[in-house]
Amino acid sequence: MTAAERAIKWSYMDHWRSNGPAGPIDQWHSVRTMSAFLKQIKAVGFDAIDTFDFRIWQMYGDYGCPAKYQEMVQDHGLERIVNTFHAADYDVRNYAPHIPQTHENILEDFRVTMGRWSEIQLDNIIVMPATLYYDMEPITEDKLKYTAECWNKVGEITAGYGVRLTCHHEFFCGIQSEPDIETFYSYTDPEYVALFVDTAQHCIAGIDPVALYRRHAQRVSGFHFKDTRHVATGDDHRHRPDSEIMAPTTGKWFYEMGTSEGLVDFRAMMTAVRDNGYTGWISVEHDKANKEGGDYSESTAISRWYAKNVLEEIYR
Amino acid sequence: MKDSLRWAYALNQWNVRLDVFVRHEDQQRALKTVSACGFDTIELASGTGRWDNISRPEVILLNHGSHQGFLDFLRRANVQGVSSMFWDPQAPAEEEEGYAFRSTANPADADAIVEWSKPLVDFVAGVGAEQLVVRPVGSAWMTPPLDADGIKRIADVWNRVGERTSAAGIGLALHYDCLGAVHTEEEVDALLEATDPATVGFALDTAELTVGGIDPVAFYRSHSDRVTHVHLKDTRYADTGEEYRMPGAESTMLKGGAGRRIERWFFELGTDGGLVDVKGFVAALRENGYRGWVVVESDHGGNPAELAMLNSWYLQHELGIAK
Repeated sequence: MTAAERAIKWSYMDHWRSNGPAGPIDQWHSVRTMSAFLKQIKAVGFDAIDTFDFRIWQMYGDYGCPAKYQEMVQDHGLERIVNTFHAADYDVRNYAPHIPQTHENILEDFRVTMGRWSEIQLDNIIVMPATLYYDMEPITEDKLKYTAECWNKVGEITAGYGVRLTCHHEFFCGIQSEPDIETFYSYTDPEYVALFVDTAQHCIAGIDPVALYRRHAQRVSGFHFKDTRHVATGDDHRHRPDSEIMAPTTGKWFYEMGTSEGLVDFRAMMTAVRDNGYTGWISVEHDKANKEGGDYSESTAISRWYAKNVLEEIYR
Repeated sequence: MKDSLRWAYALNQWNVRLDVFVRHEDQQRALKTVSACGFDTIELASGTGRWDNISRPEVILLNHGSHQGFLDFLRRANVQGVSSMFWDPQAPAEEEEGYAFRSTANPADADAIVEWSKPLVDFVAGVGAEQLVVRPVGSAWMTPPLDADGIKRIADVWNRVGERTSAAGIGLALHYDCLGAVHTEEEVDALLEATDPATVGFALDTAELTVGGIDPVAFYRSHSDRVTHVHLKDTRYADTGEEYRMPGAESTMLKGGAGRRIERWFFELGTDGGLVDVKGFVAALRENGYRGWVVVESDHGGNPAELAMLNSWYLQHELGIAK
């Protein structure tokens, strides 16, 4: 079955580390290391890549512009860049979705950002919809409402470029509990704000990602399929500067899908994706796979093996 | 790989020391990686000692109960079978051979080597593999100069092993490596001439030949009738200074301890500055209707998963082979 015939295509989210002659590097180290990365992604059967907004400077500097970088991606047999993750540095002084006084800064950021990306066609621009938990607590209904209003406006901007604004709920952001997620979406406009289901992040936050997806399937615009072996406990979600790195209980949160002792029920997830008639892209991620002896190349191959041999047997 | 040539991948680079590739889950990760790269068949390398449970036949069988049990283990990762197994009777063996240190160049070792081949032959046949791939002789720096009689003594050992492999329904392929005492093309020819073409073939390793100063494409074209097995990898260097003669060449030459201090000799297919004409070589295989296995290796090259993926990309996008 060719990629064009499959209901589901697989994109690879831009996390990578390898060892070069000068020590540890990521794929953006040089054009040569980028080529090696893209070859590996393509070799095991991924169809495209996702990236981060902050990479746009390297696209300008090393490749000329986003379109030129995408040409390189395509020269390696991959279809295109599907999604970008807008990894904003939230700051309650000037950039915090729950603080209305900062909204204009956020809107202007997206006007500029979408202009930069406009030379290629993205599906989604993904955001963590809230500041870090410790900057937003206590989480009140008003704060959730202000946050929703912010993203409704941002979503209108991105829709003008044909790109979905979609929310990715890290376990350490201000909107990570089930009731807060439900309240947040009750205030957002489905036309402008979508949900991006990260299977591991929701599990870590104690939410069943399959049930969450089934409740919100009609507004889900994409997925990060990755696994975890741990649920956050105590105040894991409020460690400065970033709980994903600093939480005292867990040195490594993320594993490739199919890992032993993984908490995500990927078979149930793929069944739900099938049952809801979702078609298009699923992004695979295994953020920080190299921690504690892991290896990005191997995790990437194994995750695609799992997609082919387990998940595509359920739905493709 | 969906191709008229049969492609396999060697697991040797995952097993770089005795205790790093022992747990079944680690072996499954390697097998899944190879499978994701489009290879459904693997080559094993023989090993020694109780740790080597994907290399030493008796330990494999203890772990998996039977040949079929081992194949079932491979198939959990969607790897369907074994193409071949590599064996170096010169490598020090542990308890199963009484800590032996043998050489085919030493007539006193011949009977023991032939006898030692039995569990390997049985295993290769038992898992449905086709070739026992062997290092025909030890390193040049450890071996007295070989005259015609010396080469004949080596050939006699392999003729005897060849009778066993043939009786078991498998092939025996003598693998050239760049340190071996049978080093020049003339010496290789002499060894091949002294062995029985009906039972003893040649395992052509593209990088090893290149390092040793022999053009693999030309060699294949002139010896296609004897080549029954292929190892495909690239190199950026030829041993132009006879470094293979340095004492401890396994370390002094191949690990950059002396000489030109080249720390890495072997590279993935398509590497910048690669000396092997991979496309020319594969074209020659096709032109000659080669029917054996083509085993791609990450041997001594770096991160095994990364190299397997880069090799897979080369096959798919430079050689045009569908995965």
